[in-house]
Amino acid sequence: MSNNKHHMGMKTLNRLSNSAIYTLLVIISVVWLIPFVFIVLQSFRVESTYQVGYVVPHQWGFQNYINLWNSDFKRWYLNTFIIALAAAVLQTIIVLCMSYTLSRFRFKLRGPLMRFMLILGMFPGMLTMIILYRVLSDLGLTQANAVPGLILVSVASSGMGYYVSKGFFDTIPKSLDEAARVDGATRLQVLYKIILPLAKPIVIYTILTAFMGPWGDYVFARYVAFGTSAGYNVAVGMYSWLTNDQINNMYTTFCAGGVIVALPVTILFLCLQKYYVEGVTGGAVKG
Amino acid sequence: MKKLLAIALALALTLSLAACGNGGEPPADGGDAGADLAGTYDVVIWAPEAAVDLTKSQVADFNSSNEYGITINATVEPVSEADAATNMITDVQAGGDLFFFAQDQLSRLIQAGAVSKLGASAVEFAKNNNNAASILAAQSGSDLYAYPLTADNGYFMYYDKSVVPDSDADSLEAIIADCEAAGKNISFELENAWYSAGFFFGTGCHSQWITDDDGNFISIDDDFNSDKGLIAAKGIQKVVTSKSYVNSSNADFASGSAVVVTGTWNYATIKDQIGDNMGVADLPSFEVDGQSYHIGSYSGCKLLGVKPQTDAVRGAALARLAQYLTGKDCQLARFNSFGWGPSNKDALADPAVTSDPTLAALNEQGNYAVPQPNIHGSWWDIAKVIATDIKASDGSDAALKAALDKYEQSIQAVFSMSDDVKNAFTVIGSINGDGWTLDLPMTADGDIWTSNEAYTMDAGVEFKCRQGMSWDVAYPADNFVVETAGTYYIQLNAATGEVSLIPA
Repeated sequence: MSNNKHHMGMKTLNRLSNSAIYTLLVIISVVWLIPFVFIVLQSFRVESTYQVGYVVPHQWGFQNYINLWNSDFKRWYLNTFIIALAAAVLQTIIVLCMSYTLSRFRFKLRGPLMRFMLILGMFPGMLTMIILYRVLSDLGLTQANAVPGLILVSVASSGMGYYVSKGFFDTIPKSLDEAARVDGATRLQVLYKIILPLAKPIVIYTILTAFMGPWGDYVFARYVAFGTSAGYNVAVGMYSWLTNDQINNMYTTFCAGGVIVALPVTILFLCLQKYYVEGVTGGAVKG
Repeated sequence: MKKLLAIALALALTLSLAACGNGGEPPADGGDAGADLAGTYDVVIWAPEAAVDLTKSQVADFNSSNEYGITINATVEPVSEADAATNMITDVQAGGDLFFFAQDQLSRLIQAGAVSKLGASAVEFAKNNNNAASILAAQSGSDLYAYPLTADNGYFMYYDKSVVPDSDADSLEAIIADCEAAGKNISFELENAWYSAGFFFGTGCHSQWITDDDGNFISIDDDFNSDKGLIAAKGIQKVVTSKSYVNSSNADFASGSAVVVTGTWNYATIKDQIGDNMGVADLPSFEVDGQSYHIGSYSGCKLLGVKPQTDAVRGAALARLAQYLTGKDCQLARFNSFGWGPSNKDALADPAVTSDPTLAALNEQGNYAVPQPNIHGSWWDIAKVIATDIKASDGSDAALKAALDKYEQSIQAVFSMSDDVKNAFTVIGSINGDGWTLDLPMTADGDIWTSNEAYTMDAGVEFKCRQGMSWDVAYPADNFVVETAGTYYIQLNAATGEVSLIPA
């Protein structure tokens, strides 16, 4: 009897603590989701275009999205997409090659090189902004040609971000390489036939981070494309709608833009989420 | 992120200054009358997004109507007039050739070499056609650096008549009481110096920065920290301590405000928000110790700047375009399209302009407004703290005075000079054809100060010796006038104030 009672007590306790935890989680997720819900709702508000004191639109419609289509937003979106795509492809190739080399090859100055890149990576990238601008300007890759300029900048230094994937490669037994080499595989074949299939999570993690970076880039993108709408990315372009003279006309369009910008990143993230978590933690198994 | 951007831009500014250093003085535009300007010019124009299409059509009109044979092949980029200086300073060379900007950016643009000085004919055009306040806005030292575009950059009051009856709109106290009773907000962006300065101007204070011809700030004349300033602080305190106070100048009627202090740019939005309940009026008066003070304001302008051009003919052609774009017809077109209040004298007299309700309110407020001069960039950050400090204080006279003391210390620190500089005498005057802008160094031997160089002076040249680059101590009392042309050292006996010339 008493045993049974005790059992009931545990159950109640469990239920209590569970409901407390779930209540807390629900509250946290509501707080966390409110801005997103707010933006989505505002983007469908068509009765006015300025900021208002209520959340649920009085009149629903797609006018903001139509405005978006008729503005320069298309161009900005395309620019950002091109930069993100190019960065994702090139950066992934460079990072993976770099990691493979540093993980599997032993050569003179390998240690000093890694330390050098570690130290170099400690300087904030912003420090180089002015000189990079000058270089890009001399190459003619600013303003209307900002897109190739931004691709160049994001790809050029990407080799230094090898840490996570090198850490992951280090966990793959070297005996696999050796077996493949004995069977006559070249170093390159080892990389793409043996290592990469085993390192799928880290490859996807690299692609994801490379792709997501340009969507949020503001400071550098604004600096390179200054004053030329054709070279803006979404962040810079949409921010230009928030000035005093624009915001009353563009506020809801801005919200619609926010939703559209969030879409590809969200979709990609949802599809590849499983690998992302593995990738972040995978590289940390062994130093 | 913003901070990083600011740092980066500051660096860019320094860089562009350095780049400008070896370029020498850019040729003043405005051009010689009669020079052959015919030709096709590729021009980049930066205009606010709303004005892009209108500007394109105005350029097309210029192409078909100008008598010089100028064809402008224009690319119009949307760049907000609030951002123009920041964008120009990034890289002057790659910036727009013509750009709309708000007047507070003028000094930064001049210092970065991003605007060209107007030539004589352009100055004449601007002065003949625009009202005095807008000319002041485009001026640094004795030169004009831009063409006035609008004269509507001021603020006044919009109110919801269903909350604040017209009869209460004159009294700040009544407005606060009405809004508190109705549970509505008052949007008054007092934690922004542009708005809070109005209280000080209302009680008769002034704040004037003095610039030289190169856009450098040389001194400030400011009496916010005074008895009159204390009255203004009490006025500010009434607003910021009200539970209705919101620090905003947006069109907030849809989010709980019944009074918004803002400018013409929010008219259409507010009209849409409260329709026939909209009241538009000049700012109210507030009462301290039985005396009533009308809240003042800044009035300002938007300007059109022309980037310095290496090719003088091109510069002259751009000056013609700038004059067209800031002329009567173009200003009226902008008024009709976006309600931008003109600075052009003829356009101001147009019946449509005189009957516009917001411009009428702005005009009424204009009786209490101070034309916004060139203001040192740091002032905005220094002065915006006044309202914040007043809000946080206990409201006693001593606490309000402390806020003003802090303000005065901060502005004086902008010009903090070493004691050596403060005590040194310098010569300033019309020497070398200079227009009283350059302080020439002197060296002391006891009380006897002698100019470091000998200057060749014509008869009639005037000068003074002054201490600490200010006019508090200056000799002789009337300007020294050179009687015989020659090359002289200038000598001052600081003990007696006697000035003499020593032939070199």
